[in-house]
Amino acid sequence: MQKEESVMADKELCVTGIEELDIQLAGGIPTGSTVLVVGSSGSGKTTLCMQYLINGAKQGERGVFFTITEPLFKLTKNMEGFDFYDKKLIESGMVNLIDLRIISERLGLDTEKYTVDDASALLDILRDIADELNVKRLIIDSITALCYRLQTPELIRDFIFKLGSSLAAMKCTTLLTSEVPPRKFQYSQYGIEEFISDGIFFLGDIERKGDLIRTFQLVKMRGANHSRIKSAMSISSKNGIELAPLLKSS
Amino acid sequence: MANVLIDGLKERISNAIKMNQSIGVVLPGNNYSDLVQAIFERIHSEPEEAWVYVTVTKPYESLTRKFEYLSTDKNIKFIDCISRAAGISKEESNVIYIESPTMLEKLGLEIMNNFKEFDPNANKFLVLDSLSNLIIYNDPEIVTEFFYHLINKTRARDIHTISLAIEEEGMSQHINRLIYLNDKILKVRDSFI
Repeated sequence: MQKEESVMADKELCVTGIEELDIQLAGGIPTGSTVLVVGSSGSGKTTLCMQYLINGAKQGERGVFFTITEPLFKLTKNMEGFDFYDKKLIESGMVNLIDLRIISERLGLDTEKYTVDDASALLDILRDIADELNVKRLIIDSITALCYRLQTPELIRDFIFKLGSSLAAMKCTTLLTSEVPPRKFQYSQYGIEEFISDGIFFLGDIERKGDLIRTFQLVKMRGANHSRIKSAMSISSKNGIELAPLLKSS
Repeated sequence: MANVLIDGLKERISNAIKMNQSIGVVLPGNNYSDLVQAIFERIHSEPEEAWVYVTVTKPYESLTRKFEYLSTDKNIKFIDCISRAAGISKEESNVIYIESPTMLEKLGLEIMNNFKEFDPNANKFLVLDSLSNLIIYNDPEIVTEFFYHLINKTRARDIHTISLAIEEEGMSQHINRLIYLNDKILKVRDSFI
């Protein structure tokens, strides 16, 4: 046990900057991990990822946000409402926002359907951008939308495993968002994304007297002595994402 | 006559909160306005203290309409749990609106966030107005759990709490149990003076 604790203490941690989340992670995400951020529409996946990226940039860690779900102007407009958002970090290149659909277009790919070669070209581009920018934090929003463009389950499986190996080689700490239907305790659409992930953050909700209370649960984090309690999650323009233990009588 | 009553209440509360970390105030409904006035006058007279006032009883707007000085006093911040549901949410710097009184975890977070905005060396006080109204919107078990957490958190951070419970005929067992979690109980009676 002592040895295990000392191994954990030696590991480099990527501090999310979301206070209660870092406490649950026993300090932060082990650097280089890939974490699946799972939730239904409106559960706060994009906000959590953006706050993580911006907090990193404020600590001097460059980051990149690849979006395939919404155009950049919409993404930035939504984020402008949060106090943690700092436009200067985008302008200075500490936070890079990239629309994968534009990259696909520039590569001459069909933006709605990817072949094996297309997927492979896209992976190479992701890796090249991450290397060139020397990013420490990377987001793909969302892995579900990316896989949706692949035609068969075999292609999806193959793409996800290749993505897993690429991310492992990049040495940056990655968050992949995964869209799931509401009120279903499943981690991914294709049932395979969780296997390439070192960690899983599950964003859900519970109903209380007809109101929906957002919840957060740290389901898995390899290499971290982490908490598994279910938390209530608050999103506010002033403080972004905050967690508090969920009352058990819920 | 009214002033004597309010001054008397103010003195009782001030003395009790000086000596105890948490006090529960049980009062009949018709004394509610006097008690609230006594608390606000105390807050207004001690500008170096830091107060967070959680209202589940009257909207912030209605309180500040009656006690105008509250909207400019710098030593009090409000958390209004009922106005949003009624479609009122006038943005002001000293109030935070919670969407619904069922969002107890959010309420707990905002209480602590509000105290962070005050001078850390100031004496800190929290008013929960009221436990009986929280129970209207929530199951009693969850309010009990919330209150246990809140009392522990505030004790750990040296925040004094005043929790109100409006006495009704056959006051619920839960309120009785909750109010006795406080260090001191003040029972306000119609015949107080």
